[in-house]
Amino acid sequence: MRITPEEAKHIAELAHLEFDDAGLQRMAAEMTKILSYIDQLNAAEVGGAPPSGATPLRDDVVVPGTPREAVERNAPAWRDGHFVVPKIIE
Amino acid sequence: MNAVESLAAIERLNPRLNAFLRVNAAAVGGAPLAVKDNIVTTDMPTTCGSKILHGFTSPYDATVIVRLRKAGRTIIGKTNLDEFAMGSSTEHSAFGVTRNPWDISRVAGGSSGGSAAAVAARMVPAALGSETGGSVRQPAAFCGVVGLKPTYGRVSRWGLVAFASGLDQIGIVTSTARECAEVLGIIAGHDPNDSTSSPEPVDDYGADVDAGIKGLRFGVVREAVSKLEGDVRANFDDALRVLRGAGAIVEEASVPTIGYAIAIYYIVANAEASANLARFDGVRYGHRSKRARTVRDMYFESRGEGFGAEVKRRIMLGTFALSSGYYDAYYGRAQAVRARLRQDFAAAFQKFDFLLTPTTPEPAFKIGAKTEDPLSMYLSDIFTAPANLVGIPAIAVPSGFSGEGLPLSLQIMAPHFREKALFRAAGAFERETEYWRREPRAFL
Repeated sequence: MRITPEEAKHIAELAHLEFDDAGLQRMAAEMTKILSYIDQLNAAEVGGAPPSGATPLRDDVVVPGTPREAVERNAPAWRDGHFVVPKIIE
Repeated sequence: MNAVESLAAIERLNPRLNAFLRVNAAAVGGAPLAVKDNIVTTDMPTTCGSKILHGFTSPYDATVIVRLRKAGRTIIGKTNLDEFAMGSSTEHSAFGVTRNPWDISRVAGGSSGGSAAAVAARMVPAALGSETGGSVRQPAAFCGVVGLKPTYGRVSRWGLVAFASGLDQIGIVTSTARECAEVLGIIAGHDPNDSTSSPEPVDDYGADVDAGIKGLRFGVVREAVSKLEGDVRANFDDALRVLRGAGAIVEEASVPTIGYAIAIYYIVANAEASANLARFDGVRYGHRSKRARTVRDMYFESRGEGFGAEVKRRIMLGTFALSSGYYDAYYGRAQAVRARLRQDFAAAFQKFDFLLTPTTPEPAFKIGAKTEDPLSMYLSDIFTAPANLVGIPAIAVPSGFSGEGLPLSLQIMAPHFREKALFRAAGAFERETEYWRREPRAFL
């Protein structure tokens, strides 16, 4: 599987990652090499092996969450009990 | 060793090894234990070896930390790791490489390189690591200590920063099987905060350490060992002789799909990582870019500045594998081959109590030897990743030394929840060989 720099740019957009042009070139080349190794999976005989079971869910019971002060201590920007972010609407 | 002795050893050795990112200098009491810095603690920051968690201290302790404290263990410090546990050399830490105590020009392995180096250099008697594809066993092998990956679901991951949730499991590094069994007895068991943790009863893990292995059946995985060469080949053959000498039955086993493990792993693990690491966006904790003027820029620039190259590479690969048009061809295909691998292991365990491979295809490599070639780094986990994909427990046990004096290691795998049997096998191997008595003092 060959990844072009344009495809790498599209994937970076989906992944919310920032690269410069040289970074995209390098990433596309590395992804191509790694995916070429992974392409050997197409040769595997899988038969009809069943997938593993689902994770059990815990009971839907209300329990106390993390105290607000503890959340605030780690927040990059905080005001009046809320996270502050740059303006969303122009 | 008590906490004061441990702190003194860390002060003396850590400047050369960089195994610890932080110590609790006020620690007193007995039974010190180190913790990989992707397991959260309230009394020290948690970095995951990343700049993106700058300034973060967890408001709660991980379940394993709560259990260890209750059992009287002293959390002495946080150990170095590849950023978000993504790597096999601890070279991908934002805080510098951890050096191998047996040869400081070489890597300690990874991603739990700090934990393995700390135990090998006798800075602490025990340390926690985490495993997604071999991140406890591989560094334990490189550093000549015991490394356990328990069964998926045996130990609660509440408070372990998520990498690949379908594979992640907290593991243990110690000098001997008995110490490892003791720590597992403390941290194993169901936890309502982790719905993947199993209700399976917790065994008396150390009960059979001295029971011997007479008559037990060990299968040598043919497809994994056929291409072994040099010191690793000779050492592995020696290990088989030791097991036979102790009365075990050692025969050839087959796991036909085992060679696909790394290809499966780098799709499944990265797909899950790309989703798990979406939470690091500069909003709620950690690094936020100072340049950002809009919310969109804040996401891209905070992540661009905060994540290192290997983490970005894996997020990119995972995002690709889940993207429209490629999901079935990559993620779907990888899960199908994984299901077959699980079936192949189950068939092999019909005939054998244990399966054997070396833990790693080579001893510790030189710092910088693989950083320019990600794929060659990934192949370092070729023997360890299968156990993670299948969910079974596996242990790395010191098995001697290469011609250059570097530690080598035997991997023993067992069926789900058979950790007690693993400690029995490892204990017998240790008694016959006593490699665990060798300490890397001369190199420090």
